[in-house]
Amino acid sequence: MIADRVIFVCIIILTAVYFYATAQIPSLEIGDPLGPKAFPRLLGIGMLFTAGLLFVEMWRAGKNGTQESAPREAEDWRHLKVIGAVVAWTAVYLLVFELLGYVLATTAYLIGLTAYFNRGKWLANVLTSVLFCIISYIMFVKVLGVNLAKGEPPFSLICTGLDAFYDMVARGVKAVAAAIGLF
Amino acid sequence: METLTHILNGFSVCLQPVNLWYTFLGVFLGTIIGVLPGIGPSAGIALLIPVTYGMNPTSALIMMAGIYYGTKYGGSTTAILIRTPGEAASVMTSIDGYEMARKGRAGAALAVSAIGSFIAGTLGVVALTLFALPLASMALKFGPAEYFTLMLFAMTCVSSLTGKSPAKGMLSTLLGLMIATIGIDLQSGQPRYTMGIPEFQDGVGFVVVVVGLFAVAEVLRGMEDMYKGTAAKMIRISGKLWLTRDEWMRSIGPIWRGGIIGFIIGVLPGAGGTIASILSYMTEKRLSKHPEEFGTGAIEGVAGPESANNSDTAGALVPLLTLGVPGGGATAVMLGAFIMYGIQPGPLLFQNRPDLVWGLVDSMYVGNVMLLILNLPLIGIFVRLLYIPSGILYPLIVAVSVIGAYAINGSMLDLYLILFFGVVGYVFGKVDIPVAPLVLSLVLGGIMEQSFRQAMTISGGHPKIFFGSAITMTLVIMSAISIILPFALPRFKQWARGSA
Repeated sequence: MIADRVIFVCIIILTAVYFYATAQIPSLEIGDPLGPKAFPRLLGIGMLFTAGLLFVEMWRAGKNGTQESAPREAEDWRHLKVIGAVVAWTAVYLLVFELLGYVLATTAYLIGLTAYFNRGKWLANVLTSVLFCIISYIMFVKVLGVNLAKGEPPFSLICTGLDAFYDMVARGVKAVAAAIGLF
Repeated sequence: METLTHILNGFSVCLQPVNLWYTFLGVFLGTIIGVLPGIGPSAGIALLIPVTYGMNPTSALIMMAGIYYGTKYGGSTTAILIRTPGEAASVMTSIDGYEMARKGRAGAALAVSAIGSFIAGTLGVVALTLFALPLASMALKFGPAEYFTLMLFAMTCVSSLTGKSPAKGMLSTLLGLMIATIGIDLQSGQPRYTMGIPEFQDGVGFVVVVVGLFAVAEVLRGMEDMYKGTAAKMIRISGKLWLTRDEWMRSIGPIWRGGIIGFIIGVLPGAGGTIASILSYMTEKRLSKHPEEFGTGAIEGVAGPESANNSDTAGALVPLLTLGVPGGGATAVMLGAFIMYGIQPGPLLFQNRPDLVWGLVDSMYVGNVMLLILNLPLIGIFVRLLYIPSGILYPLIVAVSVIGAYAINGSMLDLYLILFFGVVGYVFGKVDIPVAPLVLSLVLGGIMEQSFRQAMTISGGHPKIFFGSAITMTLVIMSAISIILPFALPRFKQWARGSA
């Protein structure tokens, strides 16, 4: 129920901000009788209606005595610390993603998380993290042509090295295939 | 006759080696996604979109549809072996399926879910083939007002039927619509809610929202379970992967009934596979001579719901293909994929691109056969995926999500957004706000606003146009009922009980 009250307050604040931001949209209204503000205003009204519905639900829940027990909510807080740490670690990973490049940043990120969630299996964790990053980089960037961050120098050397390695292997395979008359 | 030619021509499209390969790849990935916790069909399809940019749209959509119905097959495996539905719609299977596994009948439970899924899945595709064209012909009469009210109906149904609280469902829908208004307004060219960030001028991509809400949030929840120590333990497959004569006789009725229930529920917006499987379970329990066996390993409790949630996927494709309006999260992501390839699903698609529509529909017949093979004799291979420690699996899912999000535009903002929506999805899960309505309205938001403004322009700015035809009137009334019903129904029951 505390959560519902917080949601109710959030809806009101969000709706107020949304109405304010809608009012800031410059409107020329040429050839369009409604302009760019009408639909958002309708959504704002819908949000107020939703707040009303939520209020009715809260009132009915209170009347029927179906309030959640407090211990459950208190218990949830302890686990939030771990989730908060995971989110913070992911945020750090994203912040250094373009600096370190996909391979280095992701390897470090994966080793960090697996060290906590798959404790005591260092070799498996490090091997999985490194191999996953190298294989996924080659598969997505070289085979599927997807764009991934290579990193700033000197960190970019890893991705450049992988590119060169893949090109060398690909050339070698082609040369061998040509030699034995496959193509 | 022309229709039959198109349907047969669809087979020539889907049986091309390249499309057979993509059907296989789709159902194979779908089974893996279904088996693995932490990633479902919506996130799976969304993550594939950036990778399939340069592909032929027919092949790409065949593969995505394969993922969609493939996950339903895979989802039952985890439900039976670890009592955790790999995919939400398998929730009912986890009750009796897991009990069967505990009694040493895991093989029979897996077999009946694969066979039921195949029969009902194929039944669903037959119904899709039969009903798609008449509905598409009817939809040709739809104007902007009809489309607006149809989308309104889809959204109100999804709001009311998803989750425990209709108000929270509606909140989720409106948040999706609000996010959809971010970016340059296409009609006036004015930027809206961009907060001075240039990347927001193109709007918030639905792929990042889906990946955040469905993949990253699920990973956070999974990690929390690991920390709490509530992660499920696995039962090894025991018993033959086949049914005894008695089990087969007990299953055949639930499979057919589940197939029919699933298809009907699938066509209706909002309800989806979870409700289809719950309804099928309740029906079987009511019809059974031994209802007390339900919950202790009754095979009917696996056969019915599994069949229902598979034919539901074919049903869900009916409104998506014929009207261009999806009725749930995963089909909304598929609509997003269609639009990204420059294809607008709807009645005109049947006229302009019959090769694509029927190639896609017919590929589902082939895909279901492939899935039966993958999920019966080869299920042991997929079960091995469950041995991957969750502590390794979850971080890898985040890494794959990052690849998918970065691949769209190479934008760091997209990466921050998947983390943001991941946290939002996690918090929403804690406070019981459903996320499927948000995705549906985010994908439909742009089209909905466009229809609204076109209709208002036609009527000279008067809202009477939304009550002007029998179709719009019916849809408006049905939308109102879908909002009121969840509130009125308990009161009515209370009143009925009081007067009895």
